[in-house]
Amino acid sequence: MKNAHPLLQALEALYPPERLLTRDAQLLTYESDALTAFHSKPAAAVIPISEAEVIETVRLCHQLAVPFVARGSGTSLSGGSLPIADGLLVALNRLNRIKSIDPEQRIAVVEPGVVNLHITHAAAPYGLYYAPDPSSQSICTIGGNIAFNSGGAHCLKYGMTSNHVLGMKVVLADGAVTEFGSDSLDGCGVGPDLIGLFVGSEGLFGIALEITVRLLPQPERYRTLLAAYDDLGKAGDAVSRVVASGMLPGAIEIMDRLAIQAAEAAVQAGYPDAEALLIVELEGEAPQVEAEFAQLQAMMRASGAFELRSARDEAERARIWKGRKGAFSAVGRLSPDYIVQDGVVPRSRLGEALTRIKALKTKHQLEVANVFHAGDGNLHPLILYDGRQPGALEKAEALAGEILALCIKLGGSITGEHGVGMEKRDYMPAMFSEQELDIMQALRRAIDPKEIANRGKMFPSGEAPALQQRGMHPLERQGVISRE
Amino acid sequence: MTTQSKPRAVAELQDFVRGNTLVHARGNGSKSALHPAAADIAIADLSLMRGIVEYQPAEFTLSARAGSPIAELKAALAAEGQYLPFDPLLPERATIGGTVAANLSGSRRYRYGGLRDFILGASVVDGGGRAYTVGGKVVKNAAGFDLSKFLVGSLGQYAIMTELTFKVFPDAPHFSSLRLRYQTLDAALAAIFFLNQSIFELDALDLLPAADGWSLLARLGGGADALPPRLERIRAALQSETAPQAAEEVADTARLWQPLRQLDAAFVAKVVLPPKRIPALERGISGCQRRYSCGGNIAWVATEDIAALDRALAALGLAGLCLQGDCEKPLLGKAPESILSARVKAALDPDGKLV
Repeated sequence: MKNAHPLLQALEALYPPERLLTRDAQLLTYESDALTAFHSKPAAAVIPISEAEVIETVRLCHQLAVPFVARGSGTSLSGGSLPIADGLLVALNRLNRIKSIDPEQRIAVVEPGVVNLHITHAAAPYGLYYAPDPSSQSICTIGGNIAFNSGGAHCLKYGMTSNHVLGMKVVLADGAVTEFGSDSLDGCGVGPDLIGLFVGSEGLFGIALEITVRLLPQPERYRTLLAAYDDLGKAGDAVSRVVASGMLPGAIEIMDRLAIQAAEAAVQAGYPDAEALLIVELEGEAPQVEAEFAQLQAMMRASGAFELRSARDEAERARIWKGRKGAFSAVGRLSPDYIVQDGVVPRSRLGEALTRIKALKTKHQLEVANVFHAGDGNLHPLILYDGRQPGALEKAEALAGEILALCIKLGGSITGEHGVGMEKRDYMPAMFSEQELDIMQALRRAIDPKEIANRGKMFPSGEAPALQQRGMHPLERQGVISRE
Repeated sequence: MTTQSKPRAVAELQDFVRGNTLVHARGNGSKSALHPAAADIAIADLSLMRGIVEYQPAEFTLSARAGSPIAELKAALAAEGQYLPFDPLLPERATIGGTVAANLSGSRRYRYGGLRDFILGASVVDGGGRAYTVGGKVVKNAAGFDLSKFLVGSLGQYAIMTELTFKVFPDAPHFSSLRLRYQTLDAALAAIFFLNQSIFELDALDLLPAADGWSLLARLGGGADALPPRLERIRAALQSETAPQAAEEVADTARLWQPLRQLDAAFVAKVVLPPKRIPALERGISGCQRRYSCGGNIAWVATEDIAALDRALAALGLAGLCLQGDCEKPLLGKAPESILSARVKAALDPDGKLV
């Protein structure tokens, strides 16, 4: 797109120069997201400060058939917010108002650029919080969470982003503005659940302008248990015991030896030297949680853990989670580059999946660290490689591909919470039939006939930008964001 | 004469959809208001497509054919100490497909969420007669568009469900229920708002008119040892913070938590609203029997005059759905979203076959 392009001319009338970026140096920030292997430079970026500007921008893009990508903080792990070369990037960070909080009805109305954790901060004085907790929650935005139906460590009990959205106002890819849902806990309530359809559509349907989210009361009591095992399989079996017991923990997480060592080196969480660590966290009313915690400790002892630690206070709980949540950036210290996958397997096949991943890593002669949401079978294998060595990325990608194929074969999914984005689009045909993909494409075209919204994502396509190896995102290196 | 088919297999249903101009799906017909009577509409009765396809308690997932009676699913889950947390509304008569199509969660929805929060995937036959699956079968899945949630509340007008997969949870082994009495609606709502911001994790919270004011029913579920102290704490907190006229423990029966139980009129409808709109709705529908479920977020209303309810809801900007009664237009009040829905219709049912 040259400067004389009619879209740029139209945008100049809409945005002041400081919010319409066209110079290379200005656009550098937006070249990549948290999947740093992909880089692509947009023709221009705009920074709207009002809903009206977003709507007008989308209408112009539709009119002139110019593809656009909406972006919040760019923490997508699947390349979901990667710009389209010669397309427009719409940076939504300035639409960051929390419009209202109604603690009595436990709802908040926010703009898409609001940072996930800021909702919790605003709700905290009322004893409430916003539940979905992706590891990047201190910088990722709700708009991005909506596009990718983001999860986190605490999704087992209360669900992912989609489960916390009650109402939305959106601009569809062709500029039509529509609203669905309500202020009621029942959300859409009458009529099809459009929230469920829009959330997780990876930016292919349009841009969320205003979102009503539900808030939850902060649990009265957390009880966090760390169990150390001399064998990864034992930790997996322990998860089965917890699940069979009828308890519903807030989080069940496992880390393997390599991940433990990395976390230890990075944040000194004080983890035991073990083959596997299991973190189980109970939350809720104190009398209930204390009763279950006693039961949990007995169960973990019987599961063959060689060491059990329970957090005695909030500081100890925070330390246990610091190691877990920082594990990814920590693993990054062990290796110049890594790929993280987030495939899902049925929980009962976790042990089998881990054994096979171990065999695959030997076959490909690569190191793999495992950190995962064991409660919902959501794996996060981190494949370490050195991008400076010729062929290393390709080798790592081959291993990643085999892990995804394994997840599908075991009856799971190629992604539990990171989305398909750029990264996994070529695996869609392995998970969905041609007809299913055709239906999704038909749906997409019914909403976006010119295929301008986040073009090139989710669906298999030949228009992939060149792969590059650049190592970690600068923010990731500093531990501000992490790939969970 | 109306054409009717009771398919036993997906292929039969596909043929039926392909061979007719207008098709309407039904299960057990427990929601009489939702079934059009026009002679030119062919009826696909799914009651023979029933049965659990896969239930793995350790996975917290259950797949069943759409025509499965809720009662059958509940019994299988209860045998493993599990349940459908959205609490299907008409457990004795409805099928799971009809419950999804009409989006009917019961009082226990208050604890963990509604139907849409627990549906994981579905197999469907769409308006084009194509059979395919949407969503997934594992508890977490972010691949592709989530059309399974879209089916919730879709009234079978986009695709006919043939199989459904849900996330299930372990059920609480014991329950206790409290009845609180308040003289005014404002006092009862204040109690709901207090509970909304409290540490108490209620299994259900319903509000209903009583002879001398309002009754608030609160239910706790959990372990046997923890339940008595929890009940005592919540009762004490409500006594000191919300000053009820009375606060008594009542027998926790299944009947107590069936919100439609005492609603008896020509028409029964669901209304979606935030609790702060209850006073306005009360003024708009005076004389109707009603019960407010899920902390006052869903109203169940029984009336002899459905047209008046429709007008009242429209004036208030609230949406409703008539479930029972001989009613021409089950969608009440504020019209549902039409822009995005129409695009989905164009993709899944381009000939407008499914009604």
